[in-house]
Amino acid sequence: MLSDPVALIEAYYAAGYTDGLPVVPPTDKSIADTLAAAGLRGEQVLGEIVSRNTVVTAEKAAVNAVMAGCRPEYFPVVVAAIRGLCHPGFAYHGPASSTGGSAMVLIVNGPIAAALGINAGNNAFGQGHRPNATIGRAVRLVMMNVMNTRPGLLDRAVLGNPGKYSFCFAEHEDYLWEPFHVTRGLPADASAVTVYASNSLYQVYNQLAATPEPLLLCLADALANLGSPNLKGFNESLVVLAGEHAQVLRDNGWSRRDTQRFLVEHARLRLADVKRAARLPGEIAPADEDTWRHVFEAPEDILIVCAGGRAGSWSACLPGWGKKWTRSVTIRIEEEPS
Amino acid sequence: MKIFDPTSSPTPRALRMAPAPARLEGARVMLVENTKFNSETLLRKLADRLGRTHGITVGGVHRKRSPSHEIEEGVIPGLRRQADLVISGIGD
Repeated sequence: MLSDPVALIEAYYAAGYTDGLPVVPPTDKSIADTLAAAGLRGEQVLGEIVSRNTVVTAEKAAVNAVMAGCRPEYFPVVVAAIRGLCHPGFAYHGPASSTGGSAMVLIVNGPIAAALGINAGNNAFGQGHRPNATIGRAVRLVMMNVMNTRPGLLDRAVLGNPGKYSFCFAEHEDYLWEPFHVTRGLPADASAVTVYASNSLYQVYNQLAATPEPLLLCLADALANLGSPNLKGFNESLVVLAGEHAQVLRDNGWSRRDTQRFLVEHARLRLADVKRAARLPGEIAPADEDTWRHVFEAPEDILIVCAGGRAGSWSACLPGWGKKWTRSVTIRIEEEPS
Repeated sequence: MKIFDPTSSPTPRALRMAPAPARLEGARVMLVENTKFNSETLLRKLADRLGRTHGITVGGVHRKRSPSHEIEEGVIPGLRRQADLVISGIGD
């Protein structure tokens, strides 16, 4: 038993329970409050990673959520994200363990985002907002402590990326089109979290484009550069449009499908260049100079959401991990009736 | 204040290992390829070598959906019928 808070935090470090940052030491009450906020009993199973013989109980998830700094009311989002990680379509083992070092990106939609204050605006990927910072952190702590995804063991990231500490934001649903979770078949008034594995974040700049085509050429180039993991073939990728770029599309009447189609058509490289860069084996044939290698198969392989500040000429591309070895999963957030 | 354990250990699951073939000579082999780059090339080279040294025969290659996905349960009985042993397990 420890009474000194600093000693208690140090004890969690010593036990190997942290992600490198100090944790909030849980108490019986904070764990109970967290479980209650999601209407769960501790022994309930949230999901299973079959290939690791691992089950995630609500109690262990709650302990990690408290440690991450979550308020109890954040817990339904954490629970839905964990269910996403455990979904067979997500195929957890690959993106969690790969040398590619993916962040688990959590995109929150629906009324819960505003209710919890999950940032969708300025600095949506950055610091300064407790739910963004702690919900993503809770999921990573569950991955480490419950799913045994520890660096050097079942996490084989060569470099990793800072998003592995936490990567959670809400969609700015006012900028464009229908909200992302509606494209996944959920009603607009439902809340949902989408879990998506990405091993990098590439900010895309264009201050001059007043029409969609030049703007989207920049995004297509970012999606299909020679170093991109996308070149391995037919990944999913995430495009996040911030305010000014979303306005260009809106003012010109482009739909989500128009945008996806344009990106599929233009995210490409000449086969000869791909071979020159040794991203594909083989001699360069004369015809390779005029042969395009497209990196996406279908419009729905490009996920488009809106987030970020209203002003400023930035958007972002987040390449997906693997070659259809994982797919993003959207899970409805079950909220406790108040 | 007490320390709460946030960890879980994997749940032990009983596994029954198939008996290893008494000898490789003349064994029928299936290859399970995981779609990693050069996976099939490496497996076939290994099978060729075992063919030369132990006279194994390769019945075919099953391609998994991806390295992330487990082999489909429904495929296993067919592999069992067609082969005395299976070679798999390609990393980077």
